[in-house]
Amino acid sequence: MNAIYIHIPYCIRKCDYCDFCSVPLNDSAVRYADLVRKEIALSNRRGGGAPNKSLGFVGARVSPPAVNSIFFGGGTPTILPAEQLIGILDEIRSNFTVSPDAEISVECNPKTANAAALAALYKAGFNRLSIGLQSTNDALLANVGRVHTCADFLQTLTETRAAGFTNINVDVMHGLPGQTQEQYLDTLCRVCDLNVPHISAYALILEKGTPLYRKVEIEQILTLPDEDAVADMQDAGIAYLAQRGYARYEISNFAKAGHACRHNLVYWNNEPYLGFGVAAHSSLPGEGRIWLRTANAESISTYEKKLRKNKLPTAETIKLNLSEQMFETVMLGLRKVEGVDRRAFENRFGLPVDDVYAEAAHLDCWTDSATHLQLNAHGLDMLNTVLVSFR
Amino acid sequence: MNYDQHFVRNFSIIAHIDHGKSTLADRMMEHNQTVSERDMAAQLLDSMDIERERGITIKASAVRMNYKHTDGQTYILNLIDTPGHVDFTYEVSRALAACEGAVLVVDATQGIEAQTLANVYLAVDGGLEIMPVINKIDLASADPERVAQEIEDVIGLPADEAPRISAKSGIGTEQVLQQIVDLIPPPKGDENAPLKALIFDCYYDNYKGALSYVRVFDGSVKQGDRIASMATGNVFEVTEVGYFTPSLRACDCLRAGEVGYIAASIKSVAETKVGDTLTAADNPAAEALPGYKKVNSMVYCGIYPADGAHYDDLRDALDKLKLNDASLSYEKEVSVALGYGFRCGFLGLLHMEIITERLEREFDLDLVTTAPSVVYHVNLTNGEKLEIDNPANLPSVAEIAFMEEPIVKSSIMTPTAYVGPIMELCTEKRGVFLDMVYQDKERVTLHYTLPLNEIIYDFFDQLKSRSRGYASFDYELEGYKKSDLVRLDFLLNGDICDALSTIVHRDRAYPKGRAVAEKLKDVIPRQQFEIPVQAAIGSKVIARETVRAVRKDVLAKCYGGDITRKKKLLEKQKEGKKRMRQVGSVSVPSDAFMSVLRING
Repeated sequence: MNAIYIHIPYCIRKCDYCDFCSVPLNDSAVRYADLVRKEIALSNRRGGGAPNKSLGFVGARVSPPAVNSIFFGGGTPTILPAEQLIGILDEIRSNFTVSPDAEISVECNPKTANAAALAALYKAGFNRLSIGLQSTNDALLANVGRVHTCADFLQTLTETRAAGFTNINVDVMHGLPGQTQEQYLDTLCRVCDLNVPHISAYALILEKGTPLYRKVEIEQILTLPDEDAVADMQDAGIAYLAQRGYARYEISNFAKAGHACRHNLVYWNNEPYLGFGVAAHSSLPGEGRIWLRTANAESISTYEKKLRKNKLPTAETIKLNLSEQMFETVMLGLRKVEGVDRRAFENRFGLPVDDVYAEAAHLDCWTDSATHLQLNAHGLDMLNTVLVSFR
Repeated sequence: MNYDQHFVRNFSIIAHIDHGKSTLADRMMEHNQTVSERDMAAQLLDSMDIERERGITIKASAVRMNYKHTDGQTYILNLIDTPGHVDFTYEVSRALAACEGAVLVVDATQGIEAQTLANVYLAVDGGLEIMPVINKIDLASADPERVAQEIEDVIGLPADEAPRISAKSGIGTEQVLQQIVDLIPPPKGDENAPLKALIFDCYYDNYKGALSYVRVFDGSVKQGDRIASMATGNVFEVTEVGYFTPSLRACDCLRAGEVGYIAASIKSVAETKVGDTLTAADNPAAEALPGYKKVNSMVYCGIYPADGAHYDDLRDALDKLKLNDASLSYEKEVSVALGYGFRCGFLGLLHMEIITERLEREFDLDLVTTAPSVVYHVNLTNGEKLEIDNPANLPSVAEIAFMEEPIVKSSIMTPTAYVGPIMELCTEKRGVFLDMVYQDKERVTLHYTLPLNEIIYDFFDQLKSRSRGYASFDYELEGYKKSDLVRLDFLLNGDICDALSTIVHRDRAYPKGRAVAEKLKDVIPRQQFEIPVQAAIGSKVIARETVRAVRKDVLAKCYGGDITRKKKLLEKQKEGKKRMRQVGSVSVPSDAFMSVLRING
């Protein structure tokens, strides 16, 4: 197994735009870390480092590779006491072989971790910290229900560095209600000035059912920048980050040399990973040439109930045939600026990617790279259009 | 109970929408315990979902009740329900022809409405006994005495004895039933004469096949009888007869004076014709009952399957609907933008909406409908005269000498407070004022002639909104009038989209063209290139909008390891793409054709 993901679903307050599995901190949180540890131990006992046989997995055909990436995501993982996160990490170490140079990331929101906690995490082996900032403009943050200010972020960043972390990511967003391009570039400028090695720059997506959706579409008390303004912001942001030495290596991710996020590359390379925790997803080879994607229960109470009965909390298992695996490999791989490695694809599936998707060859979205199926700048903007024309 | 038609009463209820017709019918059925409480759903006779949801009656429907009168006798009451909307006058006339009397329900808070009046005249013409009832007397704003006076003044019916009721709370139901027996005459048929049964409705039952809803005027009919259609001469064997409770209940025999259904070995739905007379094959009646006047479609539009592969399903669905809606007409049509579909004719815009809704709900079809049109008379320079209901078929301007459009005579009843806004509306719609008649101090009837093509879009909605829902409206075709008409086309990236073309008065072309172009700009999704949207009369462009090119089509958001969700979003996008129609180089979503229909202009 290359990568492990741990989902911690708690937040101080769910942001207005968020439709991930996240809930305000509640009573179940004190038991949560123990449940995740139980799930890790249980899954290992059943399958020798992989999920149980009922999932169709017959165990590793060769001795499993060492885990080289662990990612604690949320929610806000750092809302839990550091010792609980460390306890989960210890549980992973005692059930899997973790390579000594593994990337071990944890997500954090300002106001949820103090200096002591950050120091404890670093000491325990966490070596990458991802901070949710979104904007340096306090009014824009308040608009979408974020609980911190820019000053809170600066304090967290200072303490993160004091704790010893150097591999740091900052999340920023564009397309926030009322946001101008100037404000967005100002945020990028300030973050670049802080010299963090990795920046994730996402566009806000208005999801149905969120409080933001209600405020924009129904109550109409907030206005989002229009489609063109958002596209302008994104283009300006990409140009600005390039100028400041951040290479775009994925649609929304930018890094200084050597700092691309290993964990996310596992997703984009369509490599296997195991997810633990409520609503966590796993992706792994099954029997024959089948590939499995599984998802855990999305409600904390169901998750807890199943584990109390010593059952794995898997809620959904999807079996993918070869053609689905190939499509997902392309769908994810094309998110990377470098694209899909032709040789790696053929080694994995036995077919050249250009033969499988011959009908896409005529689209004017490709570079002329010989080694990679690679989108040009226009293609990266139109990835969905490109993918929809496949198959 | 021994059958004696002296103890039968056949009646309809005439009422304006919302005046309480279906509620009163429900109370009658409850009173006579026609249905058990377990099965009681509001608006029992309105069996279609659409009828219950919209609170209207579309189709005639019937029910048989046993009523115990204070005279000690039990009577069979056959209620034949009628629709109340202006589009469905034809359905009303069908129902009335099967009855000896009609209960006229008038809302005590509102008074007589235009459409009620039209239906009362139909009943009077049919020689029916009219029995007024004043409903909703328990409402604070009820004024039953004023309404009674109005009934006397406007219709000329004595209303002193009219029951004052509340159908909602059940007040006065007994009195209504008693009066039905006392005032409405029993049928006068001859049971021993040759069979004469009028088909007043048809219905396709999945188990029993095509059912004819009949009123037996003379003779009797039972299972095993051989019957003949007097219109076609076709002979069938009766497989079942019965009546309505309101669900179907088989019985031994239907006799003169009774209302019920006949199931026969009728193979094709097209073989049953509403208005036809059924008679005994071996002992036929000398002459048929008077049928119904053939209705002419007033409004036409194209109906296409959203997915072209479902053309056959659409045809089958129309065949079945046609059986119990004789007023629907359709023929095959081909559109450049939409492929194969049907040109359908309707009684009015509501009728069109109801049919498309029924097609979508009852037959699970996804449809695209084109802009509604009326029938224009086109006189060519070579002396030929054409009738055009599809703008796409209009000859070139050079070939046309002049065109004529249908004109209707309309009556609008309204409280006096709204006369101003309504007159403005009529003027906007090219109406010509005829006169204004005061019914009493507070209510007035306006008469206007209006071009039909002005009222098929949003006239009714506008009328309701400008009168806060109080005005009512009725119209009848008056004739054709020469008019300066043009075809308004819409071009997407330079290509005409035939499904959007419409015929309008020249003065209305500019605002209409601009409004539709603006709407199209909003509903056509951005594509890889910029799309000019133009409105044009011939080669002259009168409005232009631009759909800008799409800049980004990518999920710029991370869903972590939830790859399945990413893929689902793509699949959704792909589904959407399938529902697009290709107009030249431009993909147009099926909904876009619908969204421009109701544009004011």
